[in-house]
Amino acid sequence: MRKWIYQGILLLAFAAELAALFLFAGEDAVRRQDAVAVNEALQSVQDDWEKMKEHKNQTGLDYVVIDANGAVCFRTREGLGESVNDAVLNRDTILDVASGKKIVGKLLISNDSNYIWKEQKRAAAMILAAAVCVQWMACIGYGIYLKRTVIKPFEDLKGFAERVAGGNLDVPLAMDRHNCFGVFTESFDLMRAELKKARIAEARANASKKELVAQLSHDIKTPVASIKAAAEVGAALAGEARIRSNYAQIISKADEVNILITNLFTSALEELEELKVMPADLESRELTALLERADYLHRARIPAVPSCLLFADRLRLQQVFDNIFANSYKYANTEIETAICRRDGTLDVTIRDYGGGVSAEELPALKEKFRRGSNAGQVEGAGLGLYICDYFMKQMHGEIILCNGQDGLEVTVRIPLSGVS
Amino acid sequence: MKEILLQTEKLSKSFSSGGILQHVLKNIDLQLYKGDFTVIMGASGAGKSTLLYALSGMDFPTLGTIAFADKTISNRNPDELAVFRREHCGFVFQQIYLIDGMSVMDNVLSAGLLVSKDKKSVVKRARELFEDVGISEETLKKFPTQISGGEAQRVGIVRALINSPEILFADEPTGALNSQTGKDVLDTLTKFNGQGQSIVMVTHDMRSARRGNRILYLKDGAVLGECELGKYVHGDRARHEKLSAFLGEMGW
Repeated sequence: MRKWIYQGILLLAFAAELAALFLFAGEDAVRRQDAVAVNEALQSVQDDWEKMKEHKNQTGLDYVVIDANGAVCFRTREGLGESVNDAVLNRDTILDVASGKKIVGKLLISNDSNYIWKEQKRAAAMILAAAVCVQWMACIGYGIYLKRTVIKPFEDLKGFAERVAGGNLDVPLAMDRHNCFGVFTESFDLMRAELKKARIAEARANASKKELVAQLSHDIKTPVASIKAAAEVGAALAGEARIRSNYAQIISKADEVNILITNLFTSALEELEELKVMPADLESRELTALLERADYLHRARIPAVPSCLLFADRLRLQQVFDNIFANSYKYANTEIETAICRRDGTLDVTIRDYGGGVSAEELPALKEKFRRGSNAGQVEGAGLGLYICDYFMKQMHGEIILCNGQDGLEVTVRIPLSGVS
Repeated sequence: MKEILLQTEKLSKSFSSGGILQHVLKNIDLQLYKGDFTVIMGASGAGKSTLLYALSGMDFPTLGTIAFADKTISNRNPDELAVFRREHCGFVFQQIYLIDGMSVMDNVLSAGLLVSKDKKSVVKRARELFEDVGISEETLKKFPTQISGGEAQRVGIVRALINSPEILFADEPTGALNSQTGKDVLDTLTKFNGQGQSIVMVTHDMRSARRGNRILYLKDGAVLGECELGKYVHGDRARHEKLSAFLGEMGW
């Protein structure tokens, strides 16, 4: 719509210029004198010759009346030629004024063609100047319009293409449906949206694969540890050397599988931002089963669990207990004592062993990624267990507290109660 | 120091629906005091009525304990709980549940004679209570269908108080009544509370809530906050403002 307005204004301005030129060119350069007015002027002068002081101009012409001696008897205004000589030079009309049959004076009717010519030139110049001004304004407006409708969309498209090339697919390309490029930009934005969808789907698929690998590898560690423990018991009880050797083989392979799983888990976790933790209401009595499952070597006596409603992710809590018990088996290898205590807003499960604990300086670092205690020795491990447990508990708004007890390490799993802020 | 009448510790109540466990009450630690008019408020589904039924021994908690005057009631069997309710609790419901085939007086006596065999004293007590709640002598002979909703609810209150319970539980007692009759019922409850009757009332009506001296606000099965109104006089603007501010804070 705006485009048509600008184009219309430009065309009108051109038309005005052409009209002004044609009018100017078509006008007679010198206007013809009005013969009737001239005759009327002459007749009135002749009639009034005897009383020229009372003569009045009734024709609209400019003229001067002089007598035979060249003296001015009447003039319509100042500035006119007042002698025959002046009149000749100015191409004025010179008529004899007769009284009876005698020539008594001259009527010098001024030639105004120069004046008219000048006026016409001025009018034409004004019209042209106005038309040019209008044209300029229309051109500027049209230029702005073109910049906004044509150049800017292309500039936006350039910035958009740079963002897309840089991997930023979040910023949409602004579309103006009234713009002739609207459909064009919309197709580019559709392309961006589809690219974004594809990228999200790809990221999800990758994350899901990594999560699956991380989860499976973490979940496999517990049964592998059970297999190893069972094989160790079997080896201790076996009488024949051949059977003991077979058990040793199983133990060795279990260690091998454990290392491979740890590597797999580590590589999956490095790129994995987080493992999903979905806490929900959980009855506290379920803790007994979780603890018993984690203590597969039956070294702990699980006390009665105070009745309350917890807010925790059952699977992750199981993994936390699995890890704490497995650590105790690996590093302390002693009896385990568990205590469960309900506090104001939490239920604290404390698991302590008699393995001597770790040095006080090392305690805070144990929950860090890839950090292991100096007493880890030759025991295989990646230093991720407590890091992941701590992460799980924080996601449940709980925590893991490590401290040295009298004879060994004390790990307290602080589980929040449901509905208690 | 107020005397604790009813106390809960980590009270939780869950319902199983379609194999999915719904935890309606979550770890509620609560003390209800003798002589208090405690009002339990909260949005629909917050667990108000479930809490009331658990506190009154009409339902069993899933987890946690409830103690009435230092005696645990949450571990009692249904028969023992029935005796407990009969002897210690009175109930007023939104639906009044008067027996249509019995007169107003007989409705009340049927509850009173469950506890006491001395009919004379039960009748005497009933007449006193009817007088207290403004039910006339003529009305006592009428049947529930012949009296108004407000009168029926006041009869319900008399029935709840006939055995002189230590605590009166009211579940939306004005929910089915119009504005004026609702006010009459609330006036009656306020009057009995003034005489020392402990009351626990569930409501989501602010006008009713103003009658309480202690307001508990339940959200998602947990007590989100509580407000003490005891120091303000009934009908005082400050009482209303305090409650409004509290409910605003609770996101009501």
